[in-house]
Amino acid sequence: MGKRLAVCAVAQIKNHPDYHDWRFQNMLLECFEPIVEETKVTFDMDKGIRTIITCSDDMFDARTISDNGITDVVGAHFRGEEKMAQESINGLGYAMACILSGHDDVILFMGHCKESQGESRRMISNLAYDPFYCRPLGMDYHNVDALQARAYMEKSKVTDEHLAKVVVRSRANGKKNPYGRENKIVSEKDVLNSPMYSDPLREMHIYPVTDWAYGMLLCSEKRAKEFTKKPVWITGYGSCMDRYFLGDRDIASNFSLKNAAKRAYAMAGIKDPRKDVQVFELSDQAAHQLPMWAEGVGIAEEGRGGQWIDDGGMERFNVNLSGGQLNGNPLLLGGAARALECYYQLSGQAGKRQVKGAKRAVAQAATGGAGQHQAVIVMEA
Amino acid sequence: MAEYWGVKVEDIFNTMKDRFRPEGAKDVDAVFGYDIAGEGKWKLTVKNNAMTLEKADQLSGCIATMSADGETFVGVNTGKVDATNAFMSGKFKVEGDMGAFGKTGKLFRKFVLAKKEMTTKEYLADMFATIVPRFKAREAEGLEASFGFDLGGPDGGKWTVFIKDKVCTVTETIEGKPTVTLEFNDARDYVDFILGKIDAQSILAAGKASAKGDINMMASKWPILFEKYKDPMAGAVQEQELLVLKKTISLNEKFSTGPIMGKFLKGLKEKKIFANRCPECGRLQLPPREVCAECRVRAGEFVEVGPKGEVRYMDVVYYAMPDPLTGVARETPYGSIFIRLDGCKGNETLPHFIRKDQIEKIQRGWNEKKGTRVRPVWEEKRIGDIWDIKYFEIDE
Repeated sequence: MGKRLAVCAVAQIKNHPDYHDWRFQNMLLECFEPIVEETKVTFDMDKGIRTIITCSDDMFDARTISDNGITDVVGAHFRGEEKMAQESINGLGYAMACILSGHDDVILFMGHCKESQGESRRMISNLAYDPFYCRPLGMDYHNVDALQARAYMEKSKVTDEHLAKVVVRSRANGKKNPYGRENKIVSEKDVLNSPMYSDPLREMHIYPVTDWAYGMLLCSEKRAKEFTKKPVWITGYGSCMDRYFLGDRDIASNFSLKNAAKRAYAMAGIKDPRKDVQVFELSDQAAHQLPMWAEGVGIAEEGRGGQWIDDGGMERFNVNLSGGQLNGNPLLLGGAARALECYYQLSGQAGKRQVKGAKRAVAQAATGGAGQHQAVIVMEA
Repeated sequence: MAEYWGVKVEDIFNTMKDRFRPEGAKDVDAVFGYDIAGEGKWKLTVKNNAMTLEKADQLSGCIATMSADGETFVGVNTGKVDATNAFMSGKFKVEGDMGAFGKTGKLFRKFVLAKKEMTTKEYLADMFATIVPRFKAREAEGLEASFGFDLGGPDGGKWTVFIKDKVCTVTETIEGKPTVTLEFNDARDYVDFILGKIDAQSILAAGKASAKGDINMMASKWPILFEKYKDPMAGAVQEQELLVLKKTISLNEKFSTGPIMGKFLKGLKEKKIFANRCPECGRLQLPPREVCAECRVRAGEFVEVGPKGEVRYMDVVYYAMPDPLTGVARETPYGSIFIRLDGCKGNETLPHFIRKDQIEKIQRGWNEKKGTRVRPVWEEKRIGDIWDIKYFEIDE
C-alpha cells in the first residue's frame, strides 16, 4: 500500500491508419512482449502478475465480451482479468484503486482498438445513443462535437483560424513522435480551405481513423524497484460523468472536466496547475477541444480560449507535444496515449519533444459525445 | 384453403393493398417472392411508392423469396407464431437478399384479425349463459317464479329461468308451466329487443311477440332481478398498439486474419489442416492462435494434422443459429462434433459438423473408448474459410 502508483514500463505500437495484416491480437502481442522483456516480470501467482486490466470496445471489435478474444496474448489465462469498456484513462484509475487498496500489487494494463476494422467509425459512435430518439437523429461523436464546437467557439472567441493553428501544430508535433500516426504536414491555409465536415468542424479538425495498442506495467510503491530504476508515479485521479442528454447540459461549460480536474488536483496536492505542472496532454478528438479542455484543466482563462492560443498558451504550458489525440489515437485509448506521453516526458525519454526538468504532468481524456465523461490523472517524476 | 386461427393465407395477401404504407416504401424498388407450401406463390412488386401483387407460377427475378408453410405464414403475420423462433427453426426461410427482404417489414401495417359479427345464435347463447351471473339474489327475497322463453325461427330455442330460495337456474327447455312465458315468432327480434334496437311496444303491436301468464312479473320484476345484458360487441376497446422499435443493426466489418489464422485458412484452401505447436509445452492448437496461452510464448511452428480423426465430443442441435455471415437459418437438426485429428493428443480437437444422415451413427470417444473415425468432405471451390470443409463424414 501507499499513496501513489508506480508506472514501471510502457510499450506501444505506432499509431497506424490500418494494420490490415494484423488481428488486434497481434497488435497487443507486440506490446506485451517488450514489457515482460524489459521488466522481467513473471506470472508467478505469489510474486508476479495476478491481475490484468484490459481496455477494449465491443462495438469496435464486433464481438461481445471483446476481452475474451485477447486473454491469451496478454498473459491473462488462469488469473484475474478485468475489462474497462470505457476510456482507458479510467483503467488507470481502476488500477490505482486496486493497488492502493492493497488488493494486488502488480498489474498489467493493456488496451487495443482497431478503428479500421469497421466500415464506419461514425456508425459505431451513433450506437452510443439511445435507439428511440438520438440515434434516429443521426447523432454521432463527430456531429455532436460540432454542436459543442459552435457553442464553445462563440463563448471563448475561438475562430476557424485558431482551429487551423491547432491542426497544423498537432501534425508538426506528431511528426516528432516516433509512435505518432503519419499524417500529411499541412499549412494553416490548407486547413482553412479543407472540406467542411459538420460546420464549424472541418474534416481536418477531427482525429483520423487509427489503429493502436499499448501496455503498461503498474505496481505498488513498495515493489517498483524490482521492475525499474526510474518509476513514474501516478499521484492523482479524478473523474466525472455529465448528463447523457445534450439538452440537459451546457455543452460549452466544461462542467464534468472541471470536477474531474478538481478531484485529481486535490489528491495530488496541486494548488495552481499553471505553476505546479510542466506538461499537459489533452484528448482533443476535435480541434476546438484543445483550448476548451485547456480551460477545463485550468491553464486557460474561462471564456478566453481564443486569446490563449494567440498568447502562445499551447507552447507555454507544453500542451500536446505528442501531437495529441487530434494527430490520431483510437477512441477510448486517448487517455492511455496521453499517459504514455507523460511517462516519456517524466522519465526523460521524450526525445525531440522532451521538456527539460519536467516534474509533473497532467493527462486528460473524455468519453461520450461532447466530452460527457471526463477523467484526469496527475503523474510525477 | 385451410384456415389457421380463423385466417386463410389468402386473407393476408388480399389485405396487402389496404395495409400498404407508401411511406414505408420510399427507398424500395424490388420484386419479392412468397412461396407458401400447398397454397401457392405470390409476387409482390414495389416501385414508386406503390405495390402490385400477383399470383405466380414461378418466382424468378425476385430479389428475395420467403418460403413457409401456411400455418407458419399466417401465424407470423397474425402474431400467433414467434417470427424469430420460426426463422431459427427453419420453418420460415428467406433466400436471396436478406437485407432487402427486411424492408418488407415496413411496407405494411400489421394484419389485424377482423372481428366477426356475432350471430343470433351466438347472442342467444351468450344472453342465457350470462343470466345466472347477472342475477341479483338480494332482489329475489321470498320470490318463487319461472320465466319461459319460446323463441322461434331458424336460430331460435326454448329456455326456462327458475328463481327459488334466492337461487337462479336456467334450463334449455320449457318445463312445466312458467309463471310467465315470452313468445317471439323470430328469435332475431328478441336479440334486437334485448340489445335495445327495437322496443317492446312495437314488437307486441306488430304481433311479432306475445306474453302469456303473469305479464307484470316479466315487465316490472325481470328488470330488477337481473342486471342489464351487456353487448360484448358494443364499445369493445380497440386493441392498443404496443410501440416497439424494430431495427437491424448492421456494421460492415473487415476482419484481418493475421499471420497465424491466415496461414490456417490458407491451408484449408489447399485441403490441409494446420495446427501450431508451442515450443515449450509441445501442445498443439486448433485453430492456431498467436501464442500458447499456458506458456505465454509465440507458437510459430506449424504442423499438418489429420485430415482424418476421431470424434471426441458431439451434440445434436435442434434450435439453430442462423449463419451470422449470410443470415440463412440452418436446417435442424444438425450434428456438431469436435474431432481429434490424427497427430493430435488429449484435448487438441477441432470443431465442425457431421454429415446430416450420419448423426445417429456417431459414437463419441473418451479415454480407452474409440470414437467414430471421420474424414473431411472438401468443397470443390475453396476460398480459405471454414466452409472449405463442407462437413465431416464417417471414414468407412
